[in-house]
Amino acid sequence: MSDQVEPAEAARALSEIDRRREQVIRRKVFPAWWWWAYAVLFTELAASVESGRGVLIGIGIALFMAGSFAIDLPVRRAARAAAPRRGLAPGAARRTLIGLVAFVAVLVGAGSATGLSLKAAGVPHPGTIAAAVTGVLFAVGGPMLVRLEAAMLMRRSGSRR
Amino acid sequence: MNTPRFDELIHAPTRLSLVAFLAATGWADFKVLRDSIGLSDSALSKQLTTLEDAGYIEIRKAFVGKRPRTSARLTSNGRTAFDRHVLALQQIIAGTGGSVVAPGQPAGQAALRSGSHEADDEVLSGGSGATASAPDHR
Repeated sequence: MSDQVEPAEAARALSEIDRRREQVIRRKVFPAWWWWAYAVLFTELAASVESGRGVLIGIGIALFMAGSFAIDLPVRRAARAAAPRRGLAPGAARRTLIGLVAFVAVLVGAGSATGLSLKAAGVPHPGTIAAAVTGVLFAVGGPMLVRLEAAMLMRRSGSRR
Repeated sequence: MNTPRFDELIHAPTRLSLVAFLAATGWADFKVLRDSIGLSDSALSKQLTTLEDAGYIEIRKAFVGKRPRTSARLTSNGRTAFDRHVLALQQIIAGTGGSVVAPGQPAGQAALRSGSHEADDEVLSGGSGATASAPDHR
């Protein structure tokens, strides 16, 4: 049978294989609202902690945990439904981890710098404002990180064959 | 190291799409497969059964609450057969004197450079089964 397959048909088949791999890699697991929902939760948690009142802190933590659980449900479901398999792109896991650590470092750095600056300037509620700024960075930068990871996975898995 | 082996069962257009999708993932839900490949429930069931009978995939049926959930994944035999089929396809193209894989480039794109330029826009031809379409779910 392979003798009867024309090179053009083989090329089409390989192109189809690449297309399906890309479909898996670029499949949307995190909805756009997920990032913003976490931004709101960060801010809510910071506001409750900054209030300094035990009851509010307790409510804030409970809300954060319940909210996280609720908004993570569809993401967990989507990831379980068809996630790119491990080993699809050799070396990708390490790069993903580095990207994630760098992203978290940027968020913590920006949040801390904002909070400390606001506190030094005597602005009220510096922690809440800093958390809101961090939340916005998270909501804007998160999808970009996901897109970068997908592009990296495509490059690395494509060159394997 | 796998040796190239053209696999007629995998090469049929719908099954190629299905196996290529499964090769990139672990377990995949029936619904995701159906929507991604663009098949009806019955057409997908038929193709999955064919692949399962060949020992290329395993099917898992579970209940989430009261809802049945069917998932499929490639077996190691299926993965090996797919890898060997890809090598066979690359070999066919390499036989024409073109490069199969350029560094940092997906195999299909590189292959297209050495093969037909209109290939990218065409649906796979030959083999059996329904024609695959690929709705974009991004």
